[in-house]
Amino acid sequence: MSAYEPVLLRRLGKKECQSIAGYRADGGYKTLERVLREMTPDQVTTQVKDSGLRGRGGAGFPTGLKWTFLPKGHPGPVYLCVNCDESEPCTFNNRVLIENDPHQVIEGIILASYAIRAKTAYFYVRYEYGFGTRQIQKAIDEAYEAGILGNKILGTDYSLDIFVHRGAAAYICGEETGLIESLEGKRAWPRIKPPFPAIEGAFRKPTIVNNPETLANVVHIMDRGIEWFKSLGVPPDPKNPRDAGSYGPKLYCVSGHVNKPGIVELPMGVTLRELVDKHGGGVWKGRKAKGAIPGGNSMGVIPESEFDIPLDFNGPGTVKALGLGTAAVTVFDEETSIVDVLYNLCRFFAHESCGQCTPCREGTGWMLKIVERIRNGQGRREDLDILEEVADRIGIMPGTTICGLADGAGWPVKTAIRKFRPEFESYLKEGTRGGVRLKMAGAH
Amino acid sequence: MATVLVNDIPVDIGDEKLNCIQAAERAGVTIPHYCWHPALSVVASCRMCLVMVGEKKPDGTVAMQPKVVPGCQTPVKDGTVIQTLDPKSTGAQQSTLESLLLNHPLDCPVCDKAGECLLQDYSFQFGKATSRMVDEKNTPPNKPNIGPNISLFTDRCIMCSRCVRFTREVAGTAELHVVQRGNHSEIDVFPGHPIDNKLASNVVDLCPVGALASNDFLYKQRVWNLKTVKSVCTGCSTGCSINLDTNKSVVYRLRPRFNPRAQGHFMCDEGRLGYHNVNSALRFTKPLERTNSGTQAIDWQQSVAKIDQSVRSAAQTDAGKIWFVLSPFLTTEEAWLLASYARSISPFCRIVSGPVPSHGVDDNYPKDRKGNPSTNPVKFTIRAEKCPNRRGIEAVVAHFQKSPATFADLLAACDRGEVAVAFVTSGYSTAFPAWGTETAERLGKAGFLIVHDMLPSALSDAAAIVIPAAAFSEKDGTYINHAGLAQTTEAGCVPQRGARTDGQIYLDLLGRRGLVRAIEIRKEIGKAVPALAALATGELGEHGVFVTARA
Amino acid sequence: MSHPHTPVSSRNLPPIPGPLSAEIRGQILALLPRYPSKQAVTLPALHLVQDSVRCVPNWAVEEIADILDLSPAEVHDTMSFYGFFRTEADRLGVKRLWVCRSLACSLRGADELLEKTAALLGVPVGGTTADGTITLELAECLGACEGAPACMIDDEHVHDISDMTKMTELVTRLKQSSANKH
Repeated sequence: MSAYEPVLLRRLGKKECQSIAGYRADGGYKTLERVLREMTPDQVTTQVKDSGLRGRGGAGFPTGLKWTFLPKGHPGPVYLCVNCDESEPCTFNNRVLIENDPHQVIEGIILASYAIRAKTAYFYVRYEYGFGTRQIQKAIDEAYEAGILGNKILGTDYSLDIFVHRGAAAYICGEETGLIESLEGKRAWPRIKPPFPAIEGAFRKPTIVNNPETLANVVHIMDRGIEWFKSLGVPPDPKNPRDAGSYGPKLYCVSGHVNKPGIVELPMGVTLRELVDKHGGGVWKGRKAKGAIPGGNSMGVIPESEFDIPLDFNGPGTVKALGLGTAAVTVFDEETSIVDVLYNLCRFFAHESCGQCTPCREGTGWMLKIVERIRNGQGRREDLDILEEVADRIGIMPGTTICGLADGAGWPVKTAIRKFRPEFESYLKEGTRGGVRLKMAGAH
Repeated sequence: MATVLVNDIPVDIGDEKLNCIQAAERAGVTIPHYCWHPALSVVASCRMCLVMVGEKKPDGTVAMQPKVVPGCQTPVKDGTVIQTLDPKSTGAQQSTLESLLLNHPLDCPVCDKAGECLLQDYSFQFGKATSRMVDEKNTPPNKPNIGPNISLFTDRCIMCSRCVRFTREVAGTAELHVVQRGNHSEIDVFPGHPIDNKLASNVVDLCPVGALASNDFLYKQRVWNLKTVKSVCTGCSTGCSINLDTNKSVVYRLRPRFNPRAQGHFMCDEGRLGYHNVNSALRFTKPLERTNSGTQAIDWQQSVAKIDQSVRSAAQTDAGKIWFVLSPFLTTEEAWLLASYARSISPFCRIVSGPVPSHGVDDNYPKDRKGNPSTNPVKFTIRAEKCPNRRGIEAVVAHFQKSPATFADLLAACDRGEVAVAFVTSGYSTAFPAWGTETAERLGKAGFLIVHDMLPSALSDAAAIVIPAAAFSEKDGTYINHAGLAQTTEAGCVPQRGARTDGQIYLDLLGRRGLVRAIEIRKEIGKAVPALAALATGELGEHGVFVTARA
Repeated sequence: MSHPHTPVSSRNLPPIPGPLSAEIRGQILALLPRYPSKQAVTLPALHLVQDSVRCVPNWAVEEIADILDLSPAEVHDTMSFYGFFRTEADRLGVKRLWVCRSLACSLRGADELLEKTAALLGVPVGGTTADGTITLELAECLGACEGAPACMIDDEHVHDISDMTKMTELVTRLKQSSANKH
């Protein structure tokens, strides 16, 4: 394969990549201008739908299809909420976008807002992205000044306001209805569905929630067309009737025990092994990998033997990981104890469970207590079975919770135990750690 | 017609909009639930009501959804199939219960809720016998007195959020909230803002476990020792249906009893805590007669005879100078008997309604967040009229007294020295008295004042004869509320220390034999008084009947 | 997460006098037209107050509630959910030093770093140094994984605090700049 030319990250590191002048000099906002003048909102929606673009936030829901769920002929208001909460651990692709090329994201926001007939977009950004927040705010201010936001954008009849709304360090705000509740000033307890946000979302009005990377893709779909987009990535897996294909470019984050942690843009479908070895510079200290999480903590843990899976929407599922998630790969080396890895993952979910649904609130806390006890050398054989059972029983998939946080909390537990059971068993027996102990302060 | 199949039992739900819990209830099947409450918004968060649901197709085949759904959030329609005994349903229920008990202290022996606790009940019906948790439990600190009447046993809380939703959606003042998140979530009040709205104690009833406790009831009784009867609150003319909880003839607790025709699900704290005078040590227990040397107790036969004697002798001179005052705290039956007695003496005896205590204006809920009246649809009203039976009394008075007279006429007649005998029934709440000392003094000018009351007052001080009255908790009878809803109330206690019910005394005065039976009197009233014809059946049912078409 | 009833560190600080300054109040009011509901201004208002006085005192919660037609409990419900806003008893130091403990950072020594930083500062996680300059926090993931182990000063990332030498330098720098502001 010839070297891939980045699209989403093409302006990264260039001079003036963050300013409106630089963005325009690179041809920015030309697509917007053309679309606003030449296309109807429905034509934009159709083009995005036909491109096969799937949401980059984690669930991979087809973006254009989501837009079509809005009620037809609704008198408005309709809202766009940009989900830049990006709290999935080990994920930072949206941060890179808003810090380095905020106008690309803004152009995507305007295009999407136009397509869904929104006159207000809320840019919900996690608190931890202070620099990115200031970058996006500055870019919004510049866009207003240039007549690209506000009343009658670029002299057309279309008007849009974007307001930045800062979060306050809670993972659950990345769940789209948790985000909406947070935006509305409430505790971010995800809503029961139906109704889905497209029918009743922010402020009880039809609302579309999209991720910045998804919106950045919209710019290029409108610019370069469907064929270009579909020329990248992977068509649907014929063995999986529910796979809708994985087209377009994707930002992959690599972190953990690799020589070169970072971000790379590639067409969908790179294998985990290639990502680690080629783009992550291989495992550090000359060691071998023991395993990795393939797409943020929620997706579960896979062993090195399964690193040949393609990182597309279908790939991780073929080895019984939850999915592609955020395509953020974190590698751990052979010296690392799987017990320590699982402890870290459980600690995260226990800390971030919103506490609304009983199975998740109690289950994440219990799983952490058990794993912590195992880690401290007081594990019992039956603990592994209890962990698996609890992990299997919490989440949307078994139907026991309102949102997917619990699925994300369960998958690391069940994948770790199922894929690394011998290590857990010997740990229980020996009471010693197989690898280097990560010294971790007690949770809470 | 729409038919729902609950565990293969067909239930016709007509055109009602029901969820799975409600539909199953119609089939006699319990779907356990904590967070769902018919008067509150649906949050579907406790996940106790998870059930398998499907649809019966026209061709007879059944397509079940692949996973459990919350019954509270899932509406039923024609053809809906609910399987509560499917292993997936029971497994999810067991699993949720196990989760809820992980951090629960299991301190049932010292918990007020024990015996009426849904954690206990559901654990028995749907749970596992043992816990697999060997790790330390979370032990958040208890919060005594989060309001003047309420304490929070934080560690027992299962975070169903019913209480929070109640303060936001029904009371409106939103004093309760959830603090923190996840496994560390707790219910709390904001410092300096206790839960002190007038509907506050409903959160204690709403709490499905022993987390929220009533300070008034705390550690007083084990609930399985309580005897519960269906009663009606006498605090205002809303006439909330209540459960009256007593033990050995002592009242321990009033709780709202659901009545869609009266108040709905709730009651106010004023009414709930207004029962204490019932247990007062100051109550009259024996008839008293005033003599030159002070008061002396007399026995019941004597008192009845003396009253009858004084009334009859006054009637020989001028029956128009004999006045009977029917308190709006009397049951309709009592009023009927006393008025019947008055009429049996003479057609000229005057029968008037007692004064109606009124306090402020009707108090509607929800309030706005600052406690001011709001424009939201009214969900509960505490009425300004602080008595249970104005309409019942008025109907009786109207039946017997063709030429209308009023309590004010009586006072004026007293002032003119034209009252030979005044028989004044009372029973007013000490919180909202019907008269002050001035009125008592004026009534004292009557030639012979008979006062029928529970507690000493300026009026009883002025009486020639005082007869002890029974409390609402000690008598059977009928109250007719502001909207004309007639509800029956049942005695939960026997009158204190040999006292008699008001109705029995009036029956004795009438010279009718035997014991008073409210239901027989009620039928009698229904036959005799067209305005109260609805009482003729005697049994008015759990929710009562309207005596007139509803306005 | 800090618990509202048990401050992590009590430094016996003088109370912060209310009410909200005209400036903060004005900034809160100016946000109202952005949203169709007043309640939506809760989070921005809490940020404004905490940025200004390093905590959200109870009187500020009451004032925000008053402005937004909410009960103080509703504002506090939202406030406490995030574990981010501090009560007056638990107010932040001049700088807030976050140490990330996500998997990416933990794999590169973050847990040890957090433990040692707590020892260096002489405070538990969540606590503030006696001189009031630094509050130590843990973060679940800062989204700075390419710079693991990562830290954050208030809301700006600092990458590659890979050992205690670097942490000590960072702390020294913070203390100096804080002392100037203090």
